[in-house]
Amino acid sequence: MRKHFFGKLLTGVLTAAMMFTFCGCGAADTSGSAGSDTPAASTADDSLKKVKDAGKFVLGLDATFEPMGYTDENDQIVGFDIDLAEEVCKRMGVELVKQPINWDTKEEDLNGGRIDCIWNGMSVNASRQETMNLSEPYMKNAMVFVVPADSDAKSMDDLAEAKIGVQNGSSAQEILEASAIASTMNEQVLATNVEALMQMDSGLVDAVFLDSVVAEYKINADQKDWKILPDGLEEEEYAIGFRKNDAALRDEVQKILGEMKADGTVEKIASEWFGSDVTTIQ
Amino acid sequence: MSFDEIGKVFLILLKYLLPTLKVFGMTLLFSIPLGMIVALLKMCKVKPVSWLMNIYIMIMRGTPLMLQVIIAYFAIPMLMQNAATPAWLNSLLSGVDIKGDAYMFRSVLVAFSLNYAAYFAEIFRGGIESIPKGQYEASACLGFSRTQTFFRIILPQVFKRVLPASTNEIITLVKDTSLANVVAYAEITMKAKQQMQLYSSLTPLVLAGVMYFVLAMVLSLLSSFIEKKLSYYK
Repeated sequence: MRKHFFGKLLTGVLTAAMMFTFCGCGAADTSGSAGSDTPAASTADDSLKKVKDAGKFVLGLDATFEPMGYTDENDQIVGFDIDLAEEVCKRMGVELVKQPINWDTKEEDLNGGRIDCIWNGMSVNASRQETMNLSEPYMKNAMVFVVPADSDAKSMDDLAEAKIGVQNGSSAQEILEASAIASTMNEQVLATNVEALMQMDSGLVDAVFLDSVVAEYKINADQKDWKILPDGLEEEEYAIGFRKNDAALRDEVQKILGEMKADGTVEKIASEWFGSDVTTIQ
Repeated sequence: MSFDEIGKVFLILLKYLLPTLKVFGMTLLFSIPLGMIVALLKMCKVKPVSWLMNIYIMIMRGTPLMLQVIIAYFAIPMLMQNAATPAWLNSLLSGVDIKGDAYMFRSVLVAFSLNYAAYFAEIFRGGIESIPKGQYEASACLGFSRTQTFFRIILPQVFKRVLPASTNEIITLVKDTSLANVVAYAEITMKAKQQMQLYSSLTPLVLAGVMYFVLAMVLSLLSSFIEKKLSYYK
C-alpha cells in the first residue's frame, strides 16, 4: 500500500516536472543549437555568423548608468551607448536586444553566453583586458571626487580621512583602492553610483568617487548642489567588451563604428547627449 | 519628486506586479507539492532516503536564497561553456535557449521552488507527526487502508495545523520575490531601483514597499478567513 502511494505521488510530480521542462524546450530549440557545437570542438570564430544567423545582437547593460545606458521615466532603456548600438545593429542588419544584467556578475553573463557584449560605459582596465576582448576605446573619462558644494575639501588630500562612497565592482573602486589615500580613507562600497550620491546627500558619506561623465551629467541634469574636485585620478577610457574568442564580431562592430564616425552619424548622436562629439572613435 | 512623477513610477511598478506575482504563484504551485513529497520521504523508513532529504533540507535552509538564485541562473551557461562537461549533458543542455526571455524566469523559479519546498517540507513533517498514533490504529480497526487513512483522516487535520505556519512562509515568499533582482529579473524591486536611480530619490522604493504591504495584507486576511472556515469543530 505504502509503495503504491509513493509511486503515485512520484509519478505525478515527475510528469509535472517533465511537462514543464519540455514546454520550455519546444520553443527554444532554434537552428543554432543543433547540438553539434560543443565548446571545445571548433576553434573557428563563428561569433559574427552566429549573431547574423540569430538576427539579434544581445547587449548587456546595467540599465542605471546615466547617460550611457539607463532606464528612463517611461521604463525604456535609452542612452548614448544605446543609440550608438541601435545604429550599429541597423547597419549589421540585426535586431538590438537590450538585456539588463547585474553589473557584479557581468563577466559571468558574457562568458556564459547570455549576452553578446557589455556596452555600458565600461572603463578599460588591466583585468578587463585580460578577461574580455575589448573594442578600441570610444570615449575618454576621468575618475573624479564629487563633494557637496559646501564641503571644506579643496583637493584629494583633504579627503585622506574622509568616508568615500564608490560603486562595487567599478573601475573607480579599483583605482581608489590603489590610490595614495587608500590606507587612511574610509571606503563605503555601494551597489551603484547614484546610491553613493544619495548617501552623500544625506550625509552618510563625505565624498563619492566616480566617472566624470556621470558626475557632470548628473550635476547638469539634476541641478544638484555638488562640486567636482579639480584633481581627478588617472584618465581612462570607455570600451565595449566582447567574449575573448569573439574577434570577428568585435572587428565588425569596430568597423561599423569607424564608418559611422566617417559619415557624421557619431557626431550627430553624441551632440544629442553631450552637446558635442566627445568620442574618440577613429 | 512631483505628484506626476510619482504617478508615473506607480504605473510602471504596477506593470511589473505581474512578473512578481508570477514568481510567487508558480513557486507555491511547485514548492507545496514538492515539500509534501520531501516531508514524506524524510519520514520514510529506508534510512538513506531520509538522510538524503535531510541533506537537501540542510543545504536549502542553510544557504541564502540570493546565492541559490545566482547559482541556478549561472549553472547552465557555465556547464555549457565548460569543456569538462560530458557530451550527453551538453547535448541535453544545448536545447535550452539561455538567451531567451523565459530562461531567466525559469531559473529563478527553480531556485525559489527548491528553496521553499525545503521549508514547507519541515512544516508538513511537523504537522503529520503531530497527529497522535492512536488515530492510525483507530482507522486501521475501522478497516481503512493506509492510503485512505492518510488522505481522509490525517491530511485534513494536518492541513488545519500547518495553515498558520504556512501563511508565515507564504507572506515571506511575497517579499522574497524581490531577491530575483540579483539576476536582473524585471520585477517590482528591480524597477523601483532603476527609477530610484533616475530620480535620485527613495520614493520609488517606498511605493514598492506599499505594494508588497498590500499583497501581504491580502494574503493574511485570506488565511485568517480560511482558518475561520476550517475551525468547524471548535
